[in-house]
Amino acid sequence: MESKENSARKKKIVSFLREWGLIFAIVIITLVATIIRPAFLSGKNMLNILRAYSTIGIASIGMAYAVIGGGMDLSVGSTISLTAVITMLIINNATVATVAPASAALLALLVGILLGALVGAVNGAILAVVNGRMAESFIITYAMQIVVGAIAQAIVKGNFQAAQYRSGLFKQFGMGFTPVLFMIVVAVVMQFILVKTKFGRSLYFLGSSMKAAKMAGLKVKQVRFLAHLICGMCAGLAGVIVVSRVGSASVLQGQNYELDALVCVAIGGTSLDGGSGSILRTVLGVMVIGFMMTALNILGVQSNAQLIVRGTVIVLAVALDVLNKSMKLREVAQ
Amino acid sequence: MADYILEMHHITKRFPGVVALHDVSFKVRRGEIHALVGENGAGKSTLMKILNGVYQADEGTIVLNGEETIIRNTTEAKAKGIGLVFQEFNLVNSLSVAENLYINRLPKRKGRIDWKAINREAQEFLDSLGFNFKATQKIEQLSAAQRQLVEIAKVLALNNSLIVMDEPTSSLTTTETEILFKLIENLKKEGISIVYISHKLEEVFRLADTTTILRDGEVIDSAPTATLTRDKIVEKMVGRSVDTEYPHRSCELGEVVLKVDNITRNGLIEDISFELRRGEILGFAGLIGSGRTEVAEAIFGAEVYHEGVIEVGGKKVAIHSTHQAKDEGIGLLTEDRKETGLVLDYNLIWNITITNLNKVRRRKFISSKAEMQLADQFSKELNIKTPSLKQYAINLSGGNQQKVVFAKWLFSDVDILILDEPTRGIDVGAKYEIYQLMNQLAEQGKAIIMISSELPEVIGMSDRLVVLSGGKKVGELNREEATPEAVMSLAVSN
Repeated sequence: MESKENSARKKKIVSFLREWGLIFAIVIITLVATIIRPAFLSGKNMLNILRAYSTIGIASIGMAYAVIGGGMDLSVGSTISLTAVITMLIINNATVATVAPASAALLALLVGILLGALVGAVNGAILAVVNGRMAESFIITYAMQIVVGAIAQAIVKGNFQAAQYRSGLFKQFGMGFTPVLFMIVVAVVMQFILVKTKFGRSLYFLGSSMKAAKMAGLKVKQVRFLAHLICGMCAGLAGVIVVSRVGSASVLQGQNYELDALVCVAIGGTSLDGGSGSILRTVLGVMVIGFMMTALNILGVQSNAQLIVRGTVIVLAVALDVLNKSMKLREVAQ
Repeated sequence: MADYILEMHHITKRFPGVVALHDVSFKVRRGEIHALVGENGAGKSTLMKILNGVYQADEGTIVLNGEETIIRNTTEAKAKGIGLVFQEFNLVNSLSVAENLYINRLPKRKGRIDWKAINREAQEFLDSLGFNFKATQKIEQLSAAQRQLVEIAKVLALNNSLIVMDEPTSSLTTTETEILFKLIENLKKEGISIVYISHKLEEVFRLADTTTILRDGEVIDSAPTATLTRDKIVEKMVGRSVDTEYPHRSCELGEVVLKVDNITRNGLIEDISFELRRGEILGFAGLIGSGRTEVAEAIFGAEVYHEGVIEVGGKKVAIHSTHQAKDEGIGLLTEDRKETGLVLDYNLIWNITITNLNKVRRRKFISSKAEMQLADQFSKELNIKTPSLKQYAINLSGGNQQKVVFAKWLFSDVDILILDEPTRGIDVGAKYEIYQLMNQLAEQGKAIIMISSELPEVIGMSDRLVVLSGGKKVGELNREEATPEAVMSLAVSN
C-alpha cells in the first residue's frame, strides 16, 4: 500500500514539474542570480537576455514544428548562415546604390524568409517523397546542412562581411525590443496555427503515428512538407535578425543553432518522439537556457563549467520526459 | 520405447476473457505425420506455442518419449529435440544461408571461425536436401519460397526427433512444394515425427497418417486420415450452428455505389472484381493471407494497385492516396485499431474528429467548443462508455475503442465503409452492439464491406459473400448458398 502512495506522490511531482517546471526554473535562476548580483533583475538585463535569445527562440519555434511532426531539421544552422550572408549582401549593395533604406530592409527581410522557405521546401519535398520520419530527416537535413553551408561559403568566398551602413530600418530589426517582438509575433502565430488549423492537428497525428495519420485519410506528404517549410522560414527570419543585431555576416553565423534549437525544444517538454509539444513551452525552454547562461556569465562561472551545467540541464530535461512517459505507461498497465 | 513421441494430456489455456484451449489431448506417434487442422483461431497455434514453451498451459501435462516434462521456454524445447518451422521468417537477411544455418554454433579452428568448413558443410547439407541454391548466397537475394526452405533447413540441421511445420507451403510454388513433400516423406522414413499444420486439405490427404481437428479450442476428432473425407473434415472444422447470434435486418438494396474491376496488386492480389450496393453488407471471407486486407488497402488508396478500375457511384476514379479515397466517400476501419485505427495517446475528441476537421471549424478555425459538442453527440449515438471525452483512448476497453473507431469514420460522412475484422478481440456484448450498428448503417443507406476471419460472423451478417483464396476471388455466394461448408471449401481451394 505504501508503495502505491509513493508512486502516486511521485506521479504528482513529475506532472507538477512538467506543468510548472519551466516557469519554476526561470524564477529560481532569477532569484539566485539576483541575490548574488542585484543587477540581474534590472530591466536592461532582462531585455538583453530576451534580445540575445530571440533568434534562437525563432529558430526553436520552427524546429518545434519539425519535431512535433516526428522529424527534425539539422540544416537550420546553415540556413541561418546563408540568409545572413545574402541579407548582408543585399543591404550593403543597396547602401552603395543608395536605395531607400526602408525598402532595402523590407526586401532583405522578404528574401531572407523566402530563402529559408526554399531550403525547408527542399527538405520537406525529399522527406515527403521518401515517406521519411526521424531517421530519414536526420540524414537528409544533415546533408542539406553541408550543401547549404557550402553554398554560403561559395558566395562570400570565405570572407567575413561587415556592414556598410550605420543606421536605417534594417539596423532597427536587431535593436531594442524589436527582435523580441519578432519572436513574440512568430510564437503567437505559430501556436495559433498549431492549435486552430487542420494542418496543426494533422501535424500532431503525423508525429504520433505516420501510419495512423495515413489511415485516417490525412494528407501525410503535404503536412510533412509544410512542417519543414515553416521550419526553414523561421530559420530564414532568424538569420536576418542575427545579421542586423550583430552587424556582420559570416558563414559561421548559424553554427550550432540547430543543436541549440533542438535542446530548447526538448527542454520545453516537446517529446523528441513527435506527436506532442507546444510553442509556448518551447519559448519558455529558450528562456530557461537564456536565463541560465546569462546568470552563469554574470556570476563569473568559467565557460567550461558553464558547458557542463548546460549539458546537465539537457540530460535532466530528457530524463524528466522519459520518466513522465514511463509513468504514463505504467498507469495504463495497472 | 514408447509408442508415442509426444502426448499432450488435457491441456487448458486461458487468456483474459477467452479460453483458447479447453481440455485438449493430442498424441503423436513415433515416425508419423500428424496433421492439425482447424479454422483461424481454433487454437492450433496456441497448442504449438505451448509445446514450444512460448506459453505455459494452465492445466494439463506434456509427455515426451514417455516422460513427463515441463517446457518453460523455446530454448528448453530445442534442447528436448522439438523443432519448429514458422510461417514468419526468423532469418538474418544480410547474412548468408550458411551463416543463418550455423548462427548459434559456428565451428571454430584455432580460435577463429572456420568459414571454409562452414560453407562446405552447409552446401553439402543443402545438396542432400535437394535445395537448389548456394550456401554463400545472402538471404536477401533469395525468393520468399527459398527463404522458407532455408527456415526448414535450419530446423532439420538440428537433428530433432519431432518437427512442427506451421503452414510451410503458404509461400512455396508447386516445384518447391514437391521438394518439401519428398523431404517430409524421407524424414518419416528416418523415424522423425512431424506435426503438419495446414489449411490446404489436399496436402493433409497426401501426407498425413493421422488428422486432428480443432474447433473453438477443443479437439473435435482425431482419426487416421484414411477414414476421413474432405467433406467430413470441413464439416467438423466449422460445424457449429449459425443462427440467432446475428441480429436480423431487412432492407432494400439500392444502386451500385462501388464497382471494382480486375484489381491486381502484383504478387498479392489478382483480378479481383465485385460490386457493392447501397444498403448492402458484403462479406469478404477467406483465410489469413488470402488477400482480403490487401484488396481493402488498394480500394482505400493505402497501397498501390497495378491494374484494374475502381468506379464510385458510376464514375471511374483513380485513387492514389487515402485522403483521395476519403474524398470519394470511402473509409477503412483497419484491422489493427491500436496501431492504425486510433492514436492511443490522444483523447477521444481528437480521435473522433480527425477524419473531418472541416466539420468542427467555425470561421475557418477549429473551435474546441464545436469539437466537444460533435464528439459528444457521436459518442452518445454509439453508446461509448467513458467517464469523459478527454479520456485517452488507451484507457478504454477493446469494445469501446472499436466504437470510437466507428465514430471516427461515421464522423467523416463517408458512404462506403470497409470494416477489416471489426469485432476482433472484443467481448460478446460489444460484438452484438457492433452488429446492430452495422445493420443500422446499412439501413441508413451506407454500403459496407465486412472482412472477417470468423466464419459464422461473416456468414451471419452478410447479404452476399466474396470468398478469396491465395489472392484470387474463388467464389461469390448469396445468403442461401453461404453455408460454412461451402465457404470453407472455397477458401481452401487455391
